[in-house]
Amino acid sequence: MNEENQNDAQIKDEQTSAILATSTIIIFFAVYWFFQIQSVRELLELAYG
Amino acid sequence: MPTSILGPYTRTILTGAAIIGLLLFSFTYARVSVWIEVQPFFEWMETTWFGVIGKTWGAAFAFIEAIHLIGLALLGGSVIVGEGRILGFVFTDIPARTIIDRAHKVFFWALMTLLATGVFMACGVAMKIYYLPVYWYKMLALGTGILFHFCIRKPLLQRELEKINPWVTKAVAISSLMIWFTVAATGRWIGFSG
Repeated sequence: MNEENQNDAQIKDEQTSAILATSTIIIFFAVYWFFQIQSVRELLELAYG
Repeated sequence: MPTSILGPYTRTILTGAAIIGLLLFSFTYARVSVWIEVQPFFEWMETTWFGVIGKTWGAAFAFIEAIHLIGLALLGGSVIVGEGRILGFVFTDIPARTIIDRAHKVFFWALMTLLATGVFMACGVAMKIYYLPVYWYKMLALGTGILFHFCIRKPLLQRELEKINPWVTKAVAISSLMIWFTVAATGRWIGFSG
């Protein structure tokens, strides 16, 4: 029983760390591509009005 | 991972610390000071046997680069197959455990190939890549990818998949795809620069 509880706690820890890492990566990518697209749009506007 | 003085959320705390450390390093002056410190190392790399062969023998450099690209194709393939299976896009008739384990074996040897050939290639063009910002972006993406794969993805997916929240496995798969596509894209970007 104790071993099972420990196993469940480890899975919970691994899932929480995965949520932390994946949310950071996904948010970083979303912000990065938002500014990239924004910058290209501004350049195109400057070039073609 | 055994429960330590950090309590039951040891891995989460270490992950948070690594993320904060990586972000601080990437967006502060620390990155520039490390960049200046490692310049003698890059100068030395060009004087090694690898550096001399890479600079003077174009065919050898091209051959090693071909192996590097094959390694990249293998790595990309293993990532697409493994993550595609987790997301339910490919090989849905084969158990996910089988695909994940076999894709990991290919991934591991592809990564070893990439690192070994990458070191040789870096020696040949050490001072060129030293001044290329995109090379450092690639190293940051590669470091993130290796840490993510071996410290987050692998320990999690070693467990019975039924016990893991499916949204977490999907988020892991999407993040893994994003990281390795960034590594591949920045690698090609190096080829276009300088």
